Amino acid sequence: MENKMTRLEFVIGAFFSIVAVIMFINIFAASAYSRLSMYSASSFLVFGIIMMIASRSND
Amino acid sequence: MKLQPADYFIICIYFVFVIAVGMIIKKKIRSSNDFLASSRTIPLWITSLAFISANLGAQEVIGMVASGAKYGIMTVHFYWVGAIFAMVFLGLFMMPFYYGSRARSVPEYLFLRFDEKTRALNAVSFAVMTVFSSGISLYALAKMFEIILGWNFDASILVAAGIVMIYTFLGGLTSAVYNEVLQFFLIVLGLSPLVIVALQDAGGWAAIRQNLAPNMTHAWKYMGDANANPMGLHFTSLIFGLGFVMSFGYWCTDFLVVQRAMIAKSMRDARRTPIVAAVPKMLMPLIVVLPGVIAIALMQPALQGSGYTIPLESNGQLNYTMTLPSMIAHYYPSGLLGVGITALMASFMSGMAGNVTAFNAVFTYDIYQAYFVKKRSDRHYLVVGKFITVAGILISIATAYLAKGFNNINDFLQLVFGFVNGPLFATFLLGMFWKRTTGHGAFWGLLAGTIGAALTHGLTVAEGKGGWIYPFYEIKSGMGQAFIVAAISWIVNFISTIVISLVTRPKNENELKGLVYSLTARPRDDGGKWYQRVTPIAVILIVITIILNIIFF
Repeated sequence: MENKMTRLEFVIGAFFSIVAVIMFINIFAASAYSRLSMYSASSFLVFGIIMMIASRSND
Repeated sequence: MKLQPADYFIICIYFVFVIAVGMIIKKKIRSSNDFLASSRTIPLWITSLAFISANLGAQEVIGMVASGAKYGIMTVHFYWVGAIFAMVFLGLFMMPFYYGSRARSVPEYLFLRFDEKTRALNAVSFAVMTVFSSGISLYALAKMFEIILGWNFDASILVAAGIVMIYTFLGGLTSAVYNEVLQFFLIVLGLSPLVIVALQDAGGWAAIRQNLAPNMTHAWKYMGDANANPMGLHFTSLIFGLGFVMSFGYWCTDFLVVQRAMIAKSMRDARRTPIVAAVPKMLMPLIVVLPGVIAIALMQPALQGSGYTIPLESNGQLNYTMTLPSMIAHYYPSGLLGVGITALMASFMSGMAGNVTAFNAVFTYDIYQAYFVKKRSDRHYLVVGKFITVAGILISIATAYLAKGFNNINDFLQLVFGFVNGPLFATFLLGMFWKRTTGHGAFWGLLAGTIGAALTHGLTVAEGKGGWIYPFYEIKSGMGQAFIVAAISWIVNFISTIVISLVTRPKNENELKGLVYSLTARPRDDGGKWYQRVTPIAVILIVITIILNIIFF
């Protein structure tokens, strides 16, 4: 686990996933909905998950 | 531009992550080589992305968007003429010498190939250049955020410098490289939404072409006459000045970018680094040039419905530098705005970190170890490396305040860098491919080239600049002047180096094995599938680049 978390793919994936979550919370909790925000946050989350999966497959 | 709590939260998350990267890398630092040169352990995908990211500072990103607005699609020349060919050349022909010679830096290669004085000239000029560039990045960051966000100038300087200092002090070059890769994804993913929504607003590329003057949407068609295109360039000065001298002079000899290839795991990866990097580099105009072209298109009467305008300077002229920040402010809602601002911040800070780590390596190996304190323990040089990291950041802070006090310092420094960089590629070209080149030829040729650059600038005037000796000849644009200065400095260096080499004694051929093309075994490029080999990828990239130039002719 420690080894995976130090891989750059995982770090990048975690960063974008966290950013996506913040954006989703902002969209729904702060009523700051816009299509651009939704699509962007979704893209960031997908990218983040893919990177984190990539770090596992490279172990 | 007003940020919301979500935006600030995203910025803070970025700060936490970059420091965390430094703390993770710290555990792997055991030697000065780990700290200063990553001990050649970095995977290909990281070295490739760091290679272009090292060049993707905020001044590049903001500057290219500004150029896109000012000059139109011709701005792609900085990529499709001024980068790809040089990057391919570096990977195919020069990396075998940089990597194979075991040199830890570009100046060290010059020492191995030529002599101490040539190394010293390059090391000192490079060290001064990079640490001042770092300071100018810091000044530009603080100035930008003071203007667009109302942040305190001093606080921006101290926070940005402090965070860069922490993660470079902890993890050295590897930490800087890892954060450059994070920065790359931030810029691409952070700015892509802007391109998509702004292009939609403008009605697509067809509408843009319809509403802009033809010379703003053609890259080559109007370059037969310098008066016919917005850059004020003739295609000959572009091809030789930018496409050859400046492009190869930067991509093939600047240690800041070459360092990212030199830390690859193997010779094959080192050669592939600039070539793989050329793929995203080729596509970068979509992210950094197209927004500028869209911005100027949105100013046209038929497309003004979007409500976007490029801000004006106090004299009523368009403030092209503010094109990207103003587009982000116009199109991005909160949350995404935080991502956009973080992307800008990341590019400023990574530019600073890249310069500091390159400065650190050159100072420690090529100045401190080479001339002052030799043959000490490795631990000593590791400690020195860490100390120089701090010193480099402090000098950067001082330079930032100097730039604040003297408006023209950036222009002055860029001018001097141009004088020094312009002739450099001639030295490397002759050194790597002509065994007869001597140390005296290289050193005096470099000096002659630099003097040639200064004289050319002093005798020509463009847009009110230059002509400080005598305004002998007027050139239409400042960019054209820069390309001509570079071309002449290169030619002067090239000829001087050859002439002086022919009348001075070269090194023994045994000393030049691994350093000169004719005395070095060709690196093997077989094994693996065709798309994993250097030469086929390079050929494909060149063909695609030529096709892109034709499409946007």
